Amino acid sequence: MKELVRELMHPGLITCRTDTTLGQVALILTQQHVHALIVTDRDSRPVGILSDFDLLAGEWLSTDASSLDAMRKMTAGEMMTSPVDTIDAGEEACAAAERMRRDGFHRLLVTERGKAVGVVSISDFVASLAAQAPSQREKVADVMSRAILACREETPVPAIARTMTEAHFRSVIVLDAAGRTKGVVSGWDLLACCEDESCAGKTASQIMHAPLTIRPDATLREAADRMIEHHYHRLVVIDPERPESVPLGVISSYDIVNEMARPGSPWLA
Amino acid sequence: MPDIAIGMGAQDRAERQKFEAEVMRIVRAADEAGLTLRILGSLAFQTHCPTLGHLQQEMGRAYTDLDFAAYSAQSMGVSQLLGGLGYQEEREVFVVTEGGRAIFENRGNGLHVDVFYNRLDFCHIIPWNGRLEADSPTLPLAELLLEKMQIVKLNEKDVIDTIILLLEHPLGEDDHETINMRRVAGLCAADWGLWRTTSMNLPKVRQLAGSYLQLSDEQKTRLASQVEDILARIEAEPKTLAWRLRARVGDRVKWYKDVEEVQ
Repeated sequence: MKELVRELMHPGLITCRTDTTLGQVALILTQQHVHALIVTDRDSRPVGILSDFDLLAGEWLSTDASSLDAMRKMTAGEMMTSPVDTIDAGEEACAAAERMRRDGFHRLLVTERGKAVGVVSISDFVASLAAQAPSQREKVADVMSRAILACREETPVPAIARTMTEAHFRSVIVLDAAGRTKGVVSGWDLLACCEDESCAGKTASQIMHAPLTIRPDATLREAADRMIEHHYHRLVVIDPERPESVPLGVISSYDIVNEMARPGSPWLA
Repeated sequence: MPDIAIGMGAQDRAERQKFEAEVMRIVRAADEAGLTLRILGSLAFQTHCPTLGHLQQEMGRAYTDLDFAAYSAQSMGVSQLLGGLGYQEEREVFVVTEGGRAIFENRGNGLHVDVFYNRLDFCHIIPWNGRLEADSPTLPLAELLLEKMQIVKLNEKDVIDTIILLLEHPLGEDDHETINMRRVAGLCAADWGLWRTTSMNLPKVRQLAGSYLQLSDEQKTRLASQVEDILARIEAEPKTLAWRLRARVGDRVKWYKDVEEVQ
């Protein structure tokens, strides 16, 4: 991969202060259509990063009125990951992909001469992939996750949040009693629950979003195109012969980055 | 000192021998019946610490009941076995705990038996799926340590049992006469709440040990060293994502379950 980090990154920082509450963070994430905020101190220096996944803890741990009250008082500074992992804007993008894959990061703060200038995330790699010329690389079936996390439509929201956190999954496929795909619940859907106290009593069918599907023989380029076009981070891979059956798997933006960072990948040539 | 509660008080040798003989009678009968039944609680510490077990009595630690760990797949066999040994089951406990626990009374000898299936589920969960085969006739030493360390409101009896265990057995990475730190650290690395309570209790045990006249200075020094080594080992264990996320919230949210005593 010949591009440099500065060519792929999202320039500028979307930030919040350390004393911002988790509810306010959820609001900013929703309004700005981003998955993470850079947390800054009083002098506007980045001191941490807070993602939608971190906010899942709010739902996960709010098991009663007292814990909900405690979680609502928590601030970005208390919940953030600190320090922020950084990469220089002049580094090759493949080095960023390799680090993200190796260390399990979804994004890195980009610096130039010691100053924060942007963020490079999985979505940026997906966008770059989508912009490539027709590719000879593998199909969706080659890189999709065949093991999926699934639940029924009536599954309570706290149970979904807890399982996603414990299993390190970023989404759950919602199936009906016959195994047909009805929707997807992602961290993004759960974010809304941070602002809605009644959410703990809701079920998967009430918060899920419609699934976006793809065939297993589609190319990665097609998958990336579809993700970018619809601003989805994951697609449900269906069996074209039996579209009503349990899905074959899920392909996420992370799977595509993982493929890009694989030894022997044309991105690393 | 911690609260003095059930399990403390003078108990003569004959009374202690009654408990010790009965627990071994049940274990032997279970072995013969092909059932996996392991001792926990005060008698487990006594049984697995033949050199220093005498400290229990000297420190005023009394037996109150017989506690066992078992697998739920064998619950019917355990009930039949204890029935044959003169114990009557309080069936409602098994139902209320959804098969997690069973209580038996023997009106002939006045003894009470508690059987915990698959896990100890008090302030924190200590599972023993596949672990009962690692030691006999008691729970493995790692689980015995965690049985005590998971208690948020540690009593003096729990402190005494822990002291004896830590003085009698070295730390190690397997279960053969050693406290398996891979197991202890692994469970603490997966569950922030258990880590929190264990990290809180170990220094408490070290501090309280200093006040026991029954312990020599050498024993107190060794105990302090064992506590330091355990704390260092569980700190060094790589933590899960859920652990790290929970750690950021810390004590703001209650990290343990309140225990409802079933007597």
